[in-house]
Amino acid sequence: MEDLELHKIWKAYDSKLEEIKVLNLQSWALNLHSLETIQTYKAKSKLDALATFNLWAVVLGIVWVLFLGVLVFGNRFQNPYFSVSVSMIMLFTIIAVGAYIRHIIIIKEIDYGQSITHVQKKLAQLETSTFQSTRVVWLQLPFYTTSFWHSQWIMNDPKFWLISFPITIGFTFLAIFLYRNITQENLHKKWVRTLMMSGPEYTSVLQAKNFIDEIEKFKRDIA
Amino acid sequence: MDTLTAREEFLRLILHNKGIIIKICNSYCPDKNDRDDLAQEIIYQLWKSGKNFDAGYSFTTWMYRIALNVAISHYRKGKQAGQLISFPEKPIDIADKRDGGDEMEEQTRLLQQFIHELKELDRALILLYLESKTYREIADILGITETNTATRISRIKDKLKQRFSMLNK
Repeated sequence: MEDLELHKIWKAYDSKLEEIKVLNLQSWALNLHSLETIQTYKAKSKLDALATFNLWAVVLGIVWVLFLGVLVFGNRFQNPYFSVSVSMIMLFTIIAVGAYIRHIIIIKEIDYGQSITHVQKKLAQLETSTFQSTRVVWLQLPFYTTSFWHSQWIMNDPKFWLISFPITIGFTFLAIFLYRNITQENLHKKWVRTLMMSGPEYTSVLQAKNFIDEIEKFKRDIA
Repeated sequence: MDTLTAREEFLRLILHNKGIIIKICNSYCPDKNDRDDLAQEIIYQLWKSGKNFDAGYSFTTWMYRIALNVAISHYRKGKQAGQLISFPEKPIDIADKRDGGDEMEEQTRLLQQFIHELKELDRALILLYLESKTYREIADILGITETNTATRISRIKDKLKQRFSMLNK
């Protein structure tokens, strides 16, 4: 089979498409003519849906930060353990909110008119980055165990040193361990998959990671 | 691009080049119902990206970029959700037509099927080649070098020819 034949088959396909109305493109394009319909499509668009999800995460994150702020302000540093713990939880939430804001900016910057390898890599990176950047929230874990500490308890109650303190130390090691190990490089490990996500979400990040590798390979000149 | 004239112009260009959208949808989306969604998404993205279109470039090259980018993303989403169905016996609507059975129709069906077996990026590459785009244009649309384009196309063509010759034996 020669190159010409491949083109001939394709041309035949082309002319058949001309003959038959394969898709209702005309009516869709006509529908798009009205601005209201465009808005409906906008809501349906996958990337816009992802931006909306990120926007909601930002809104909820801000509400949570404000709530924590009220708690810290209301306490007026009467119990420094409580204030510092809640402030740290606030800090990690702010970092996560920052990551979501960054994702919204990336989504808005994606221009489908750019080259395929560039756009597809950016889209795949967006999927893996959501996973990577939100793992920082694990670091707030130990601060949930210190928020109810107070000086008298630490000074006078041996139970503090026997129970509460070891729990906090345990949570600290656990938080650092999770932060360092829950990465896309470790997605092949069963415990990471079990802990982080199941089914489609896991597949989505893993496939995005593989696709980035595939794009890199595709871009490399082959001999 | 929000004036009536701009919209009229957009509509004219889309309809004039609808073959591009149809062929890309067919190549990345074997399911007919799903194909409608993909075509809508492509038209929406074309409309949305209209403001970024540089009149100094070819409209069809820009259209290919957008349509292929949307189609690949759509295909990948389907793959992640496990919604992909296997390529049907008659992959394109034209195969459903009246006087079926002629050789060219069968070859068209097979070519579609073989293209569908390729990876997403290779599929884009061969589609553009079959659309008689130059290596330079293909390289520009995909964001790779011309040498890479030529080598990869040659390999895919060999693969396709091999598939056809295996069937003819």
